[in-house]
Amino acid sequence: MNNATNATQTAKAGFKLPFGMRDFGTFIGLVIIFAVFSWLSPVFFTGPNLINILQQSSINACIALGMTLVIVSGGIDLSVGPIAALSAVVAASLMVAGVPIPLAVMAALGAGALCGLFNGALIAYAGLQPFIVTLGGLSLYRALSLIYTGGNPVYGIPPEFRAFTNGDTLGLPTPVVIVAVIALICWTVLNKTPLGEYFMAVGGNQEAARIAGVPVARTKISAFVFSGVLAAVAALILVGRLGAADPTLGNLWELDAIAAAAIGGASLMGGKGSIVGTVMGAVILGSLRNGLTLMNVQAFYQLLATGIIIIAAMLIDSATRKSG
Amino acid sequence: MPDSTTNSIIADPQNTSIDRLRLDGISKRFSGHVALNQVDLHVKPGEVHGLVGENGAGKSTLLNILSGVLSADSGNITIDGKVLNIKSPLQARTNGIAMIHQELQHVPELSVAQNMFLGRSITHMGGVLVNRKQQERVALEVLATLDPDINPSAPIRTLKVAQRQLIEIARALMEDAKVIAMDEPTSSLTPAEFQQLARLIEDLAGRGVSIIYVSHKMNEIFEVCTRATVLRDGQNIAVATLAETNAAGITASMVGRDLVEATHISHATKDPILEVTNLRRGKHVKDASFTLHRGEVLGIAGLVGAGRTELLRLIAGIDRPDAGTVHMHGKQVASNDPRAAISAGMGLLPEERKRDGIIRDRPVTSNVALPSFRLFSTLGLIRRKQIAATSLEILRDMDLRPLNIAKPIGTFSGGNQQKVIIGRWLAASADIMLFDEPTRGIDVGAKAEIYSLVEKLAAAGKAIIVVSSEMSELIRLADRVLVMSEGSITGELQGEKINEGAMLELAIASA
Repeated sequence: MNNATNATQTAKAGFKLPFGMRDFGTFIGLVIIFAVFSWLSPVFFTGPNLINILQQSSINACIALGMTLVIVSGGIDLSVGPIAALSAVVAASLMVAGVPIPLAVMAALGAGALCGLFNGALIAYAGLQPFIVTLGGLSLYRALSLIYTGGNPVYGIPPEFRAFTNGDTLGLPTPVVIVAVIALICWTVLNKTPLGEYFMAVGGNQEAARIAGVPVARTKISAFVFSGVLAAVAALILVGRLGAADPTLGNLWELDAIAAAAIGGASLMGGKGSIVGTVMGAVILGSLRNGLTLMNVQAFYQLLATGIIIIAAMLIDSATRKSG
Repeated sequence: MPDSTTNSIIADPQNTSIDRLRLDGISKRFSGHVALNQVDLHVKPGEVHGLVGENGAGKSTLLNILSGVLSADSGNITIDGKVLNIKSPLQARTNGIAMIHQELQHVPELSVAQNMFLGRSITHMGGVLVNRKQQERVALEVLATLDPDINPSAPIRTLKVAQRQLIEIARALMEDAKVIAMDEPTSSLTPAEFQQLARLIEDLAGRGVSIIYVSHKMNEIFEVCTRATVLRDGQNIAVATLAETNAAGITASMVGRDLVEATHISHATKDPILEVTNLRRGKHVKDASFTLHRGEVLGIAGLVGAGRTELLRLIAGIDRPDAGTVHMHGKQVASNDPRAAISAGMGLLPEERKRDGIIRDRPVTSNVALPSFRLFSTLGLIRRKQIAATSLEILRDMDLRPLNIAKPIGTFSGGNQQKVIIGRWLAASADIMLFDEPTRGIDVGAKAEIYSLVEKLAAAGKAIIVVSSEMSELIRLADRVLVMSEGSITGELQGEKINEGAMLELAIASA
């Protein structure tokens, strides 16, 4: 090894892309979908419709951000939909009972956090599989919200709360701004904090991480708590939009969230994932539905297109990983 | 499926003028980097041929081409004068080339016979059902000549590594292999098991099978091989007739320079830094007690399974001890808590680097900083620049190659991964380092580097424990050696008394 090559390698070590190669791939996918729909529909690429897409994607993006942290740390959270439902009925019934809105919001976030803590503790301390624990949670949290409400939606959400979640902030719909802030927080956690490194280390090689002194149990629990709290945030956005809290809301949310994370580059084997990628993944799924609706494509075919996009994304992902 | 006949194996073993296997002018490039440049390898019938070279010299690439995993950019492979066009591992096998991998790939829950017939089952009922009885009969027949103790219907996980290797060899024999390539076959064998393997290799060679034997261990190469091909940087350096040369000669042509046999210098003080008292776990570790001093290199010798790794894991807090205490710097350290041991200044270099050491897909920097991210953070945010600077400083010192700390650690060779894990504990300012088989699977050049590193660390006042199965390594490095046998420390050797005979005697002693 001569000095010249050493010098360039040292230089390489200092230089870092702000945007990974995998994120670039997701970005290309997003651009292609935008290009295709802009060509097919004159309405698609207009300011109001783009804002519309962001708003429609915001709930899935919110869930998917938490899901990404869980997947990166080597887990999976199937219980996000029911956690959202439970948080929604808690918030709604407190608001209806006259509890101040900030307190009701805190209670909903607390409910989400508790569910995540319960999932995480069973996985970290009882050593159960994340898939099985959250599959149990899926039924458990759904049952709790159904029992709590007697199966009926909670109506009568205060207009102030509805006005807040349906209003604009900085010229954008408030939910979009909220999710953008959450994405920024998640990005910072994953890329800039020890906890983020722990997520990737535990997901990449749990035993090596433990031997190197990573607090494995706390790391796993943190990921599930993030996921639970973000499910609650998504629930609050939906409650504000609909003006009611249905104990059956959030059905199959986990699947859309996993799809967004996977399209964005998260590996279900753990250890890999990208916040920027997940946000783009959620927007890809959102714009696909939006575009197909604009073109009056039937719901059945929309489902078909979603499936094709997910599988195609994974095929491209696997092909590029092998060659790279 | 053709019937197994032993005739084709011993086809004309006396005619040694014709090469059984010829690789001529093999070249291979990977994205601009030349891995092999016009490499030749000629093996006669019934010859045991060594293939040696440092990591990265191109041995694995050559074996992968031979076994059909990779295809060469140019060059020919001929067997018994017939030019082969190998495009897949299956084609290599049908042409009589068998590969015994370093890491054996078996399905642990399936039986010995099922593993042997994986992918080419003997069937009956019109090819629908697997004929297990017939498979087990054939397996028994083949295994009888190798190791009659192996039961073909036992699950493969119940077998020892040495026996699992025999399964692979048996499978190769069933397929009428003309050439068997063995990649580091002894990396998990005891010395006695190596002797068994050596006898088997001799026997196979007598039956006309050609063996390609890849190993870093010079004593093995000289014991089993007649000739050896030396590769360096993807080129043929020499084909040596081993009776006419010695280990130093081969090593010199491998690394391209003479390795100076350094003499041991002690930096040991009388200042105790680690005290282990009556540490016990099941039958693996029985009442181990000893003291380690600042600047000391303490070796732990013993046979595979003597409890050495288990002892290190107890000290490092990875496993829960049944009884006993560990004191560091005079203070008791909580047991079964790696974080407590690390914050008291301990660092473990695990034996199974891939399983217990590295986070494969993460960059070098993240692997270095893993135990110390909190120290490298301000207000909860990681100071990446400082981690990069520290990693670069430490790893440049250790001559990490290539010195690209942004690359995932999984892309580095074993020796370089080892440097990164050692660097991890330097960055964490550990002052007690536990090295479990630090040079396993590492080439000669990197080995010398690790040795001088251990010495440098001792000179800097670190206390070091080295567990090793290579006695020469302990003689070279240790100020003092503890020998373990069946979970107990059976003796302690110091200074002049550290030699192979004394260590072996204590290693087979029962406490």
